Amino acid sequence: MRNMTILVVDDDPVIRRMLEKRLEKAGYEVLIAEDGYQARKILPQQHIDVVLTDLMMPGSIGGIEVLDIAKNISQNIEVILITAHSSIDTAVEAMKKGAADYLEKPINFDELFLRLEKIANVQSIMRNAQDLSQAMDTTESAAALTIQNLEIRTAELQSRIESIEAILRDEQNPPYERIYKVLDLLTDPQ
Amino acid sequence: MLKISPDELKLVAQYIHDISGIYLDQSKSYLFETRLGSIATEHGCNTYKELYQKAKTEPSKTIERKIIDAISTNETLFFRDKGPFELLQHKLLPELIDARTPGSPALKTNIKIWSAASSTGQELYSIAIIIKELIPNISKYNIKLLGTDISDGAVAQASRGKYNKFEMERGLPGDKLQRYFTMFGDSWTIKDEIRAMVQFRKLNLMLPFAGLGKFDIIFCRNVAIYFTLPDRQKLFNKIADSLADDGYLIIGSTESLTGICPRFIPKRHLRSIFYQKK
Ligand SMILES: C[S@@+](CC[C@H](N)C(=O)[O-])C[C@H]1O[C@@H](n2cnc3c(N)ncnc32)[C@H](O)[C@@H]1O
Repeated sequence: MRNMTILVVDDDPVIRRMLEKRLEKAGYEVLIAEDGYQARKILPQQHIDVVLTDLMMPGSIGGIEVLDIAKNISQNIEVILITAHSSIDTAVEAMKKGAADYLEKPINFDELFLRLEKIANVQSIMRNAQDLSQAMDTTESAAALTIQNLEIRTAELQSRIESIEAILRDEQNPPYERIYKVLDLLTDPQ
Repeated sequence: MLKISPDELKLVAQYIHDISGIYLDQSKSYLFETRLGSIATEHGCNTYKELYQKAKTEPSKTIERKIIDAISTNETLFFRDKGPFELLQHKLLPELIDARTPGSPALKTNIKIWSAASSTGQELYSIAIIIKELIPNISKYNIKLLGTDISDGAVAQASRGKYNKFEMERGLPGDKLQRYFTMFGDSWTIKDEIRAMVQFRKLNLMLPFAGLGKFDIIFCRNVAIYFTLPDRQKLFNKIADSLADDGYLIIGSTESLTGICPRFIPKRHLRSIFYQKK
């Protein structure tokens, strides 16, 4: 399994530092943004699997806005919000907008790692499924092309057989003439 | 997981064929076990024979419905194979509109399209989106878009028009997603303007198509592949009866009608094939 890259967005330097240390120790690639504005700059420039963002941050880009920005870049980026107990309503609102989860402060790291593992699992299953469906699409479109050609060719040959039968059964003409006509038809390239 | 015996395999495969036309390979016993095992336990059955008897005799048909939901493959996606939808947009609909527009401007143009195994609805909604984008003055038209499927679960999801993000990601271009769907949490719902154009209901393609009338375009894609040859022949014969004389039939991209229904001839347009009656 590939290491996930996590973008940590928090204006509190102590929490930032702690998250960075713990996540790196657990084997994740970690990127840091000091606020929503930095997050907005980093998100389009890097491949990010998960955004871990504080809900309340100074300025007009809070956690909800970071969520919007991330989801706009790719639906595959999962966003986990970190909230104070008092702002649970906003967190629930964020879930409706596509957030993967929210964690209450103070952060319980066991809980955080469980959620990250769950996201990693889903993403790896998704990638597998995408690979499979890609492979299936390729096989299917190749098969479709072959089948289409055969289908049209069979219909042409069928109609030729019908014309040949009509000529051969046509008693108005002497037999040798019917044969010439059939041979003409058969040499006609189509 | 409840194990299935060879005798039960035969019995259950025959039963599934009887109720749905679906032919299941009896050598794949795990397929029966993984799909039907939990239904058996849920209804307190200790064997598949018991499940079969219960399903057959139960008046409400709840178990039968669950079995159909479990064995039917509902795999589908928006704008699947692309080709048929380009064909619809650039050839079939323009031709049909020409042919069906009445002389008097007071009269509406009637067009009927059927998605004969609509699964969870993506095929019919794709058709509706194409029509919406192609026809600006839609009020001058009387367009009927019908989707049918044997699976209650599939029909219910199609009617809700609600999809998760994995279903959405497949086949749907971003601009269409933004324009025709509303996001709520991890799922997306089709907007009312498109939802109002379509209708879904349950229909078993093995039974007579009573009361459906004639259609101008029929999509019957990726369903006949689950049927035996004689059942396919009967199906496409009935489909020929339900298609207008100048109507169009579209089948799955890897399907063929050779040796199945001589009433249809294949025609090519760019990278797609459609069928018309002889
Ligand atoms: C693979 S999906 C095809 C969906 C769509 N037409 C497409 O091509 O993407 C097959 C569908 O056929 C339905 N089906 C199977 N047997 C059927 C029957 N006897 N009558 C009607 N629908 C049936 C299944 O429930 C399933 O939803």
